[in-house]
Amino acid sequence: MMPDPTQQGKAETKEWKPDVDMPVVYFQGVSKSYGRIHALSNITLGLSGGVTGILGMNGAGKSTMFKLIMGKLKPSAGEVRLFGTDPWKNPAPYVKVGFVPEHEKMHDWMTALDFVSTFARLHGMTRDHAEKEAIRVLDFVGLSDVVNKQIGQFSKGMRQRTKIAHALVNDPELIILDEPLQGCDPLARTTVMNVIRELGKMGRTVLVSSHILSEIERITEQIIILHQGKLVALGNLHAIRERLDEIPHTIRIVGDDARSLAKDILDHPAVFGLSFPSNTELLIQTYHFGSLHSELPKLIVKNGHRVTLIDNPDDDLESLLGHLTGGGA
Amino acid sequence: MSDKPTIWRALDRKAMAVAEFTLRQQRKRLSTWVVMGVGFLAMAVLTMFYIDSMMRDYDAIDNDGDSSDFDMDGYPNGQEVLYGTDILDPDSHPGLLNPSIPPDDPSKWINEDDFDIESLASGSYGYDDDGDCRTEEKTASQQDTNSNNIPCDVRITEPSYYNGFSTAILSDRGVDEDPDDDAYAKESIHRAFVLALGKFGFVFLIGIFVPLFMATGLVRDEMTSGTMHYMLSKPIARSEVFLYRILGFLGLAWPYMTGMVVLAALVTGFFGPSDGFFRFSDLGVWMAVLLASLLAVLVYAMLFCLLGVLWKHGIILALPFAAWELGMILTTLGAPDAAILRFSVIGWAMNIVDAGAALAWTDTSLLIELGLWGGGSNNAEPLTGSLALQIFASDSGLGLTPLVTIVVSICVMLFQAATCWFVGGALFKSKEID
Repeated sequence: MMPDPTQQGKAETKEWKPDVDMPVVYFQGVSKSYGRIHALSNITLGLSGGVTGILGMNGAGKSTMFKLIMGKLKPSAGEVRLFGTDPWKNPAPYVKVGFVPEHEKMHDWMTALDFVSTFARLHGMTRDHAEKEAIRVLDFVGLSDVVNKQIGQFSKGMRQRTKIAHALVNDPELIILDEPLQGCDPLARTTVMNVIRELGKMGRTVLVSSHILSEIERITEQIIILHQGKLVALGNLHAIRERLDEIPHTIRIVGDDARSLAKDILDHPAVFGLSFPSNTELLIQTYHFGSLHSELPKLIVKNGHRVTLIDNPDDDLESLLGHLTGGGA
Repeated sequence: MSDKPTIWRALDRKAMAVAEFTLRQQRKRLSTWVVMGVGFLAMAVLTMFYIDSMMRDYDAIDNDGDSSDFDMDGYPNGQEVLYGTDILDPDSHPGLLNPSIPPDDPSKWINEDDFDIESLASGSYGYDDDGDCRTEEKTASQQDTNSNNIPCDVRITEPSYYNGFSTAILSDRGVDEDPDDDAYAKESIHRAFVLALGKFGFVFLIGIFVPLFMATGLVRDEMTSGTMHYMLSKPIARSEVFLYRILGFLGLAWPYMTGMVVLAALVTGFFGPSDGFFRFSDLGVWMAVLLASLLAVLVYAMLFCLLGVLWKHGIILALPFAAWELGMILTTLGAPDAAILRFSVIGWAMNIVDAGAALAWTDTSLLIELGLWGGGSNNAEPLTGSLALQIFASDSGLGLTPLVTIVVSICVMLFQAATCWFVGGALFKSKEID
């Protein structure tokens, strides 16, 4: 068969048929260990449709789980199925998958358009088709005005969005995003979250990992919590949220004048404690995290405070995990 | 066929995408240009030595001693022999003949009886240019001291038990005994250089070191840096990635190699000894060198890429292999038929070069023998250039005709490359990527 140097013909890879009875992602008793370290132990779950947040501390097994789905790792025990196929043995299911790895490293010498279209061609697209699709997805993630800029000159948020664009270029049914919000500035964070929510609305199966509960909370209600390689919770966030509300929480606010801000917030019934690590920083202790968190923006805007950051320090998840595993934070 | 969607079409799109990506990636790296630049400089320096050796004059040596004048009568010995006068009697010289012959400048009796390789007639060589054999003074048996029934010629015997399995050169006394040292030196140094640069410069040095520095990390670097995740999360088999990465590397290395060989062919073609303005007779050798070096780059790239996949410090595995290949290329010079060469890459590549040289220069072994013989007088030293040519020229070692040798060697090297791909792809497939 002659090669096609013009790369202009119309072609499809031989049709790969997914197993319709299987969930998109299916784990049956999957364990993964490196020597004595158990990165994942005995995970069984099936995922299909909607956005699922995978929550866990660093080293909880989130990335390991994704790498098993993506055939980068071989399970030590159990079965991994992606559209009913073993991804370690067969790369065919990736026709329907988009993967955003957690690695920072990218091909910095390429332009965003090059990067996305080059990898699109690995789906069997022609050069022209790949470029068209690349422009479409780069527009979708809000990078349409920098498509011809080198990735090396991008901010972290732009790089993250380029990675997402590269994963979306084949219009996948399953999108896996490993810590997509890490290192993003607030604007990029919002954009990325909107993109993920949009994908969920389009009926795609989206798996997104994070170690920050509040981030996941803004994206989805369906979550999986991993802790030390074990599945500790799986289900609707509201159900877990009820338990979460019963344990004390910290909200961190960074602004121009922490003390005047504190005066306005102290009146709120949910607040039971305040502290000032520095002149511009305010830590709020609350038992009703949900209600306070939703009212905070209104309070701040009403009194004209200038705030640069509202944050729930990581110990949110830690305390939740402590609660879930029964050990206390 | 052109519009039919096929798996092949999708495959070659992926191949083009990965190969093009790899090519562009290599082009962006400084190390690529450093490696290629150093390779070019090394070859350029070697070529400088060659140009120097072609520009200089080699001393004309009176190999048969007939420019001396033993009886001091002003007539060189050669001239006296030609006219039948006594070389030891000052009162006997051609000036006393009728008509009187004026004495020759002694330099006319240096290099006066050159090798006549091309005057090939019924298995005999040589022509008595200075007439000291064909002189009427000599009887028929004196004119045929090598007893092949051809007067005043050079007889070349096939290797046999009686002469220690080497070619023996037997000349009728006085034939081809004072060769043109300068012409011989230039011809043999030229051939020696073409073979040396082709074998050691292109096939060995560039053929090994460009893949060593550029192909060992083709897959491994991406595995280490984490960028391999982008490629491997696409529907493409890992052995395909392995192969297409190599293709991209070849897209840079092959044109580079071709350019260097063409440049060398041009320089040596213009500077080498020839009747016209350009030595077309070398082109066959250069084509063999090009073929051998392209195949060597292919096999080494596959092998080193495999070693890179096998271990993250694959270059440490590749270096002993390069040393092994150096040993093997040295072996091809002395013992081209050694069985151990079959377990090397370079042994097969050398077969191609030697077979190409055998096709393009049919008389190389004769040239070497004649140079070592040096004219046949008892104190004759090997001529300048003959030892160099003897070192770098060798038989192809397979005992087959040159064309068959080339075909067999190509097949073996392609098989070696395919094996490395197969093993490398399987290894890559079994690697977990973190």
